[in-house]
Amino acid sequence: MDLRKLKKLIDLVEESGIAELEITEGEEKVKIVKGGSGGQEGTALSQPLPAASSPTARPMSSSAPVPASAPGSTPGEAPTSLEGHIVKSPMVGTFYRSGSPGAKPFVEVGDTVKEGQAICIIEAMKLMNEIEADKDGVIKAIMVENGQPVEYGESLMMIG
Amino acid sequence: MLADGRFHSGERLRTALGLSRGGILTLIRRIEALGLRVVKVRGRGYRLAEGLDLFELDGLAARLKKVSPELRVEVLDECPSTNTVLAQRAAAGAPHGTVLACEHQSAGRGRRGHSWVSVVGGSLAFSMLWRFPRGAGALGGLSLAVAVGAAKALERLGTHGVAVKWPNDLYCEGRKLGGILIESSGDIQGPSAVIVGVGINVCLGAQARERIGDPATDIASHNEAVPSRTTVLVATLESIARVLARFSREGFGPFREEWLQRHAWKGRRVALSQAGRHVAEGKVVGVAEDGALMLASVGGIERFHSGELSLRPG
Repeated sequence: MDLRKLKKLIDLVEESGIAELEITEGEEKVKIVKGGSGGQEGTALSQPLPAASSPTARPMSSSAPVPASAPGSTPGEAPTSLEGHIVKSPMVGTFYRSGSPGAKPFVEVGDTVKEGQAICIIEAMKLMNEIEADKDGVIKAIMVENGQPVEYGESLMMIG
Repeated sequence: MLADGRFHSGERLRTALGLSRGGILTLIRRIEALGLRVVKVRGRGYRLAEGLDLFELDGLAARLKKVSPELRVEVLDECPSTNTVLAQRAAAGAPHGTVLACEHQSAGRGRRGHSWVSVVGGSLAFSMLWRFPRGAGALGGLSLAVAVGAAKALERLGTHGVAVKWPNDLYCEGRKLGGILIESSGDIQGPSAVIVGVGINVCLGAQARERIGDPATDIASHNEAVPSRTTVLVATLESIARVLARFSREGFGPFREEWLQRHAWKGRRVALSQAGRHVAEGKVVGVAEDGALMLASVGGIERFHSGELSLRPG
């Protein structure tokens, strides 16, 4: 898979509503995850992620001739401005951006939040868990689509 | 005054309530707007078509103190949702064990925008605040454990055939008897403030069933003697408080077997949807150690942590 094709795929993910794309071509496998590494590989998520709101690509097999990541490959993005603190899901469940369907989302990208302020809800078995911002700052990125399932430790939002 | 189902003359009502003739008429209209039928007979006065089972406030605190000393109950005449009001009080520092019950809940909430219909005198709606030392991650399976607690209380009151539908609906013979909505907030690391909202149909009239729409049932249909709402409140509070205390120490584990014993849709073919999207279909196997739904489909047994179930033919 050449770099141009990879770049195209990254752009495709960026523009679409999908959060994750996995493509297998022969022996090569590429997984593109929007908004950071999602914790599937046990990556330390608390460290600042470069270009975390633009998609990053990781080779899934060692033979894949792609770089380990493609930071800053999207024109017009300033990856350095997207460093921040990641709020991770404390449980497996469904991610909601508002208190009830049709209601205004708790936060939007660019909003200033205070520690303790509700930023989203994770529903697990009819238990609605209000997730609070664990520090003051500005919402830099929202990494999960409304209504999507999330895993334990998955990145939800970035506060910078 | 009218709760006893007997006739009261307009004059007596006026004196007792300090209202004018017009005031009484407005009051009667308001009572009728709550879904209650008022019978008017010239020369005798007014009475409610059926007696009204209001909370017996006098003995309530004493009865609860005996079974669950850590609970403090307040009964409101009317509120939109006991969960909403209690959440506001919790944010303002209300203590652990605060319970809010309501005679008339006008905008009861179910999961994600669903409404919960309450009937004055015929439904029980209350919320309890429980403060857990740990964060939301430790609450997995709590809603199932609470359903077990509510089911056991109703069984002890003589209700036959109480079953649970994943994750925490109460059913009787395929119809919904009650629902539970739990909302938590707090730091991810803990502590968390958990609000357990419970709605139970005690005695629904035909009009109420029509308003609910979905197949509903009530305790009265599955019990030889209909317990008063106060009795149901005390019994469920005691049982759920016990469950919450044990859950805080041991998690869902000890409740799994009791949940499975009452499993309403065991072996049934169901569809699971999340946020309105169909995600899976299969046969319900049971629940895992953490309360997750176990569904057998072509791909084997899968586990799910959220979603709505609906029955499928077959």
